[in-house]
Amino acid sequence: MTQKKTDLLQGTLDLLVLKTLAQGPQHGYGIAQKILVMSREVLEVQQGSLYPALHRLEKKGMVSSEWKESEAGRMAKIYSLTKAGRQHLAQEMEQWQRYTSAINWVLEG
Amino acid sequence: MRLPWQKAETELEREIRYHLESLAAEYELQGLSRKEAEQQARKVFGGVESVKEECRDLRWWRWAADGVQDLRYGWRMIRKTPSISVAAVVSLALGIGATSAILTLAHTLLWSDLCVKAPQQLDEVLWISQDHAGGMVRSTSGSMYQDGALRVADFFSRAAIGAMQQRTAGKAQIAGHIGGELVSSSVNGKVSVVRLRGVTGNFFAVVGARQAAGRLLQHADDTPSSVPVLVVTHRFADRTWGSDSAAVGRTLRVNNTTYEIVGVLAAEFGGLIPGDTTDLYVPLEQTPALRQPDSFARQHGDSPTTWWIQVLARRAPATTQVELQRLLDTAFASSWTVPPTKVEATPHIRVQSAARGLGSIRHDLGNPMWMLLSLVALVLVVDCANIANLLLARAARRQKEVALRLSLGCSRGRLIRQFLTESLLLASIGAALSLPVAIAAGQLMTTLLGSQGAGMTLSMQPHLSTFLITGAIAIATAVLFGLYPAFRASQVQTVPALKEGSGSAGTRSRQLWAPAKMLVFGQTTLGVLLVASAILFTGKLMALVNQDTGFNRDHVLLFDVRPGEVGHEGEALRNFYFNAEQRLRDLPGVEAVGLAQTRPMRGGGSWTGVKGPGQARPSQTAEHRSNAGFLDSMSIPLAAGRAITPQEARGGLKVAVLSEDLARDMGLSPALGAHVTVEGGETYQVVGIARAARYHSMSETAPVLYLPFDYNSSSATFVVRTSIPPSDAFFAIQQVFQGLSRDLPLVDVYTMEQQISRTLQKERLFAWLCGSFGVLALVLCAVGLYGLMSNITERRTAEVGIRMALGASRQAVMKQVIGEGMLLVAGGVVVGLPAAWVVARFAIAEGFLAKEVAYSEPIALAAGVLLAASALAVLAPSVRAASVDPMRALREG
Repeated sequence: MTQKKTDLLQGTLDLLVLKTLAQGPQHGYGIAQKILVMSREVLEVQQGSLYPALHRLEKKGMVSSEWKESEAGRMAKIYSLTKAGRQHLAQEMEQWQRYTSAINWVLEG
Repeated sequence: MRLPWQKAETELEREIRYHLESLAAEYELQGLSRKEAEQQARKVFGGVESVKEECRDLRWWRWAADGVQDLRYGWRMIRKTPSISVAAVVSLALGIGATSAILTLAHTLLWSDLCVKAPQQLDEVLWISQDHAGGMVRSTSGSMYQDGALRVADFFSRAAIGAMQQRTAGKAQIAGHIGGELVSSSVNGKVSVVRLRGVTGNFFAVVGARQAAGRLLQHADDTPSSVPVLVVTHRFADRTWGSDSAAVGRTLRVNNTTYEIVGVLAAEFGGLIPGDTTDLYVPLEQTPALRQPDSFARQHGDSPTTWWIQVLARRAPATTQVELQRLLDTAFASSWTVPPTKVEATPHIRVQSAARGLGSIRHDLGNPMWMLLSLVALVLVVDCANIANLLLARAARRQKEVALRLSLGCSRGRLIRQFLTESLLLASIGAALSLPVAIAAGQLMTTLLGSQGAGMTLSMQPHLSTFLITGAIAIATAVLFGLYPAFRASQVQTVPALKEGSGSAGTRSRQLWAPAKMLVFGQTTLGVLLVASAILFTGKLMALVNQDTGFNRDHVLLFDVRPGEVGHEGEALRNFYFNAEQRLRDLPGVEAVGLAQTRPMRGGGSWTGVKGPGQARPSQTAEHRSNAGFLDSMSIPLAAGRAITPQEARGGLKVAVLSEDLARDMGLSPALGAHVTVEGGETYQVVGIARAARYHSMSETAPVLYLPFDYNSSSATFVVRTSIPPSDAFFAIQQVFQGLSRDLPLVDVYTMEQQISRTLQKERLFAWLCGSFGVLALVLCAVGLYGLMSNITERRTAEVGIRMALGASRQAVMKQVIGEGMLLVAGGVVVGLPAAWVVARFAIAEGFLAKEVAYSEPIALAAGVLLAASALAVLAPSVRAASVDPMRALREG
């Protein structure tokens, strides 16, 4: 079974991360798996590249982190969405919608 | 304590490990083996190190953390290539240190303002004329020099100064001073010889100097009937009493006068001339010269034809130099009682800025100083080329390392910063070490300038600004050339560089060497120039020292005595001299005793005009008053006639001996028996002709008119010729003077050799500096070449190994390395030779060098020396190349 995979559009990784975290606090590995599952394994993400994105968002104050025991019983760095992150996500999603519908109009029109 | 970046680093590490382990666990559940699962996890995760780098880039302390790491890494790399690092640091330290010391000297002598209030308003007043001012001025005291076609002089009559003060009232202040003579002063019975300057009462107000204690001189101090007071310099107070305030109120005897010290000058006031050694400032009317009832200054000082006072002016802020010059010119002309004979002989005022002190030393040292500065610039260029060369070599070695770091995920920006840090580290070490070099060089120059009372006292604290300038140039070079390879290296194709490694010398690495080769080439060219100038000037000095002086300089002792200043007068004074002459002559080991009013080889003399019968214009000559034994003590032979006899000398008869060149100049025939008239009107009969001999300096000849010694003179120089070493005779000589006068110090005791070397102080300093520049350039060139060739051979180890494996002999390998190095040097020499020749022609045209100086041999010699030094420098790398073990080279290459 071969499945065609698509490179992530630039700048969209932040959006995916925020969206994933909107469903609840999660560690990096969990975020990666969730994105993979939610995108039905179409999106090709080098899982490592998640971390610079997470750290960047943390620096901007969109997410916060703390070391906690994970479900597997080990210490893991758990990220959660902040208030600012939530607002940013709403804006970004709205922007994305407009963007995709615009593209769709052009392609289908 | 854990630093923030260490904590962040472990957290990052844990986070990523957690991710990888979770992934691996998942894959293991899917049925992969543990090893396969871990591999798969890494593949899915991507480059761990580059992810880490990206995360690190986000941290705010990133810059500082990297800096610390860069430094630590830089230090490690510096230690890894010790020979190159040490060579670069030494180049930097020597280059910055030596050049900033020279610049400091130039600054002190040429560029620094006097430490007084508003120095720009201070002017030196001089007069200029195209021709001899003739009868307008009958007697003078001061200095005169030739500036192109103009005579420039600095002495004025009292009447002229009075007229100037009146004329410029409200527009400028005018002060007078008379020049630093040496006198014996005694403090609490201890006698020392000090330099004294007579100044008008308003002098310090005009100069704008401050006192450290007490008060400075005022108008009221400067009358013939004032209580004798004086002001001392901080240096003198410090030397004598250890503090400024302790000096005020004390008394000090000069000759027979007791002066009260009313004030001490502030430490920052170093005098009017750069390197001024004046210790005492005395009101003009109270100077020893004017207090003696029968002194010349007392009798003739008021005459409008006696010009003897130097003038200093302070302009009001609104007055321009041109305006001042115009005012002074009319005032000066109004003071003449004898009109000028012709237009060309009319003196005019020249006003020149005294903001940096009076001009004579700059006049003396100005040209050589500029020459030295150009040499400094050349040395600095050679130095920078060296640093550049060494850094290029260092970087070229590290191509493989750079490629490795790039492929491990190091960003190019980071790489460049690493190189920058390393260069800065290297440059800072060099700059730090240059400080002691600069201080040592400064002390050396101060010693050379000030030794044996050469008449200069300089404070040579390394000047911060000069230090910053040279330091900035050298460090900029280090940074620039440290970065250049980083930029190049960051464009390296990682895979071929890794494969090629450091062993082979492909076309690209040859290219990388090109700038280094150019640097060695250019360095050698400049090296020829520097070494040639070193040989030229040291050679010039040697020639000066070793030339035939016309007198015998061995076994001669010179010293001054000042009996007239410790109470001997009239008959007692004459008897003192008679007894001294006689008792010295009777000492065993003493061959002749000369007594002279002017010390021979002193650098100056007493000059006058002399006319023979029917001679229209007087011949200029040195007037030398000496006793009967003088010519013997100097071993100056007579060409004709006889010397002055003791009876003639003691009786003050009007007889004279002419030097050969004076007799020739006067055109006397027959000379013997002729009557000659000295300026001022006295007539002497010529009894002898002496062979020409150097008189006042080694570099100039002077005609001499020998006249009988004046036994009423308050001071004299003894010239004692001994058959035993002069130092052995000195104790007995001292005993003689102890017996004659208890408190009489013998001053400036030197052998003739020492006296001669003192007159060559300037030449010696100059030759010494040029010589050290030459050596410095030579060392730098050799180090640069060594660095380059070491690197080339090291990089070619594999190539050499192959060649030797294929049958090349060790000699052939050595020959190739030496040949390559020497080709570069030879190229530099070929360009350097004509360049040096052109520069020498230019130096002669500009008057830096005398016309008769032979410069071709020194230039050729310089080229030879440079080639020899280069051969030595490439020898070591060539031997190392030849001792390569082919097997090892091939295995490791």
